Amino acid sequence: MRWLQSISHRLRSLYRKDAVERETDQELRFHLERQIAEHAATGMSPEEARRAALLEFGGVEQFKEECREARGVNRFESLLADLCYGFRSLRKSPGFTVVSVLTLALGIGANAAIFSVVNALLLHPYNFHNLDSLVRVWEDRGIDEGYDERYIAPADAEELRSTTGAFEGLTTYSMQSFGLRTKGDVQPILGCRVSANFFDVLAVIPVSGRLFGEAEQQPGADQLVILSYGSWQRRFAGDPRLLGKTISLNSRIYSIVGIMPKDFDYPVPAELWVPLALTPAEKADRAQLSLNALARLKPGVSVSQAAAVLNNFSRRLEQEYPKTNAGRATTLLQLRKELYMFTLPLFILLQAAAGFLLLLACANLANLVFARMIGRQREIALRAALGAGRGRLGQLFLSETLLYSLAAAVVAIVASFASVRALRTSIPVGWTKWVPGWDGIRVDGNVLAFTILAALGVGLFLGIATMLHTSRVEPNKTLKETGTGTVTRTKRRVCNALVVVQVMFALILLVCAGLTIQGFVRLAKVYQGFEPAGILKIEISLPQKVYADDAKIANFYQQLLRGAASVPGVRHASLVTNPPASNVDDETTFFAVEGQAAPNASELPSADLQIASPDFFDTLKISSVAGRVFSDADSADSARVAVIGHAMASRFWAKEDALGHRIKLGVQNSTEPWLTIVGVVGDVRQNWWNPVTRPVIYKPFAQAPQRSMNLLLRTTSNPASYVSAVRDVVRQADPAIALRGVNTLDEEIADSIAIVRIMGILMGIFGLVALALSSIGVYGVLSESVAQRTHEIGIRLALGANPRDLMKLILGQALKLTGIGLVIAVPCAVAISRAMASLIFGVVSLDFTILGGFTLLLLVVALGAGYLPARRAIGVDPMVSLRYE
Amino acid sequence: MSKPTDLVQGTLDLLILKSIALAPMHGWAIAQRIRQVSNEVLQVNQGALYPALHRLEQQGWIEAEWGESENNRRAKYYSLTKPGGKYLQSEQANWERLSAAIGLVLKKA
Repeated sequence: MRWLQSISHRLRSLYRKDAVERETDQELRFHLERQIAEHAATGMSPEEARRAALLEFGGVEQFKEECREARGVNRFESLLADLCYGFRSLRKSPGFTVVSVLTLALGIGANAAIFSVVNALLLHPYNFHNLDSLVRVWEDRGIDEGYDERYIAPADAEELRSTTGAFEGLTTYSMQSFGLRTKGDVQPILGCRVSANFFDVLAVIPVSGRLFGEAEQQPGADQLVILSYGSWQRRFAGDPRLLGKTISLNSRIYSIVGIMPKDFDYPVPAELWVPLALTPAEKADRAQLSLNALARLKPGVSVSQAAAVLNNFSRRLEQEYPKTNAGRATTLLQLRKELYMFTLPLFILLQAAAGFLLLLACANLANLVFARMIGRQREIALRAALGAGRGRLGQLFLSETLLYSLAAAVVAIVASFASVRALRTSIPVGWTKWVPGWDGIRVDGNVLAFTILAALGVGLFLGIATMLHTSRVEPNKTLKETGTGTVTRTKRRVCNALVVVQVMFALILLVCAGLTIQGFVRLAKVYQGFEPAGILKIEISLPQKVYADDAKIANFYQQLLRGAASVPGVRHASLVTNPPASNVDDETTFFAVEGQAAPNASELPSADLQIASPDFFDTLKISSVAGRVFSDADSADSARVAVIGHAMASRFWAKEDALGHRIKLGVQNSTEPWLTIVGVVGDVRQNWWNPVTRPVIYKPFAQAPQRSMNLLLRTTSNPASYVSAVRDVVRQADPAIALRGVNTLDEEIADSIAIVRIMGILMGIFGLVALALSSIGVYGVLSESVAQRTHEIGIRLALGANPRDLMKLILGQALKLTGIGLVIAVPCAVAISRAMASLIFGVVSLDFTILGGFTLLLLVVALGAGYLPARRAIGVDPMVSLRYE
Repeated sequence: MSKPTDLVQGTLDLLILKSIALAPMHGWAIAQRIRQVSNEVLQVNQGALYPALHRLEQQGWIEAEWGESENNRRAKYYSLTKPGGKYLQSEQANWERLSAAIGLVLKKA
């Protein structure tokens, strides 16, 4: 309680200052009067008594001040005075204030905006209870299958659930796309089939309705659906009486039993969940890795302990079921870490770049502040002479620099509301819907705290730097000097060091920016094997009820293709299941080659499967390597054929001709028909992250009609101008069909690499700002030092020095500073670009042209920054410069 | 008047606390009491008394209240707080130990 009393005392002394002062006066006066009365009683005259009392008491004013000090008033008052003084001095030099506040605001604001993304993606991608105990579990077959391919066999998952004690719960699920019927139309919707304990393991409960029961994961009893909050709002207009109603998914009737909370959409971007009802045969399957698994660790079980348990488990399965499980390793990864893929590393990289930018801005500003301090040396010396200690001066500087940095933080926070929104919407939904936590990007408490802490850090740094810079002011010397004061050797060294630091960060940022932009340009070119220009892409999906059989589907699309091809200006019209740059991986399929038995079931070769109409290859101008492409003769009734990509042909038939060989989708003894390879076409880059040499199998549309296809048109002029003509064609074929996903292929490609483009733009901005700040920094320091040496230069000139030598002297100084910075920065830049290369899927790679180019650029900038002040100094008449002080 | 004996650093606080331990007192009375009780040996510098009082109040060992003085004037009376009492006890014990130790050294040496 003592501290409480002490605070209330202190506050009273502060806020009721006058009353407290009066009381002290009264108290001391009472004392003196008593003392005078005491002396008077001994017979002194009133005058003498008063004199004696005052003498005994000592300096009244001095003791009053000591009383104030004892009450702790002074520290507050002086801080307040310093803040006021700081504020006044900022207002007195508005130019300096605006420049420094804006420089800092830029640095702090960039950090705040990027941090808002990192905060959302890294710190709370999901708000699941105890996120760190959730792990993804899958069976690794020793091939790098990537993020999307982490599956487990159903029987293995069941065995894992029932036999190991490491998990509190283990659940399986599998993504599935559904067709949701609405008023005669069918909309594609992404859902997830989940085991009954799925939501229990995640520890989420629906906002209304219920979860699935154990009995409801039997085939036949499984026609139940739980909706996401978003789909309830968007697709059903938030209908409050939706529970118990039915919807049609893939032409089966499902009744809605629950709605999940607002922020729940695991696995993103699922909009609904249905029970995972497996047949007994499917349940007993060990060969196919077909399910995703998620588990919650028991309390107290660490990830490495669980990994050891899984290791034993897979060894046991290997021995028990060598036919299917040989070479499989059950693996786990914390759910949180699984998210550290891809989008997050990019933003962590950006965060690092923004951090460098802020440091650069600090170094730049420190130079400005120092330059100002040199002008204020006399003032500081005067303060020191009047008894201001180092601490007291430090408080003065700190309160000034904290004022800038906090003002900058305010500007940055205000701007961040807009910049964060811009950042969030700058990347198309097609990408961000796969990024958990993306919708949570906002300026929240964490971001505000981060911003303010960053600002305080900057203020402290600048304040302490100023303090150290001015610590050796000798009042005696400085006050005797005339003129603007001089700069000592140490101070010059500090300024030079700051220039070196700025050049260093500038080079690093420029190289990062250069590499990212180069990566983006390269990415735009990775879509090889076809010609995207002049292509219009439209998604079409037919309702299952009306188009119940293949003949009807084929009929519709035949009419559509004929109609579209007859539109004037359309050169080719064709269909494909997954056009390039769709940001969706192709459907992959296992396949068996006739005469080549796979050693075991888990090592079946797999390939991408595409279904295409005959004109597809001409539409995209995909080259034909061997044989033929599809023709209208490949109909539903003719022999089953396939066209394969060049990569597949050279992998499986390296020494012979692939033409004429037969393959079958699925396993060797499945009921699928054998497909004869009739042609080999050039490889196509499907999505920018896919390797170009993925095996791909094309089947003719006529032999495998699908309801959902993409219509591709090659047009002779701007593809976007054909949309209304195509709409008419579709309307003629079936007025109930809506066009979706209408876009030109060029734009699809631009969208698909938008995230790298945004990176490139942000990095580019950081790089340019860094270049500008560091040029200003180099120029500022050099022109300051040249101005200091005007007198010396005048003497040299008067004594007959060659102006060219003087120019060399000054430029040499510029080159020396920049050179030191560059020498330090080059290895850093090399290391950072190595790290970048590993982060961004090989899009970025170390490029010595970029490194060399920017190094040269910074040298040229430094020469320019040195040349201007040098020319000015040399141009001055020696007579004038000698008088200059 | 004889030059007041310089007080050992920190002992002024102890003297003030001890003086007001029995009854609340104002500043002048505290100074008088210290002088009288010490048989005029300890002369408190009267002005210096007040910063010490304000500091002790700030620290919460003592509290102040305005009241009527013996000559019917308004005066600020200081009294010991509960933690102040405990503080006084521990400080007094410390002092006694210290002075006994010094006494021992002086006798032996």
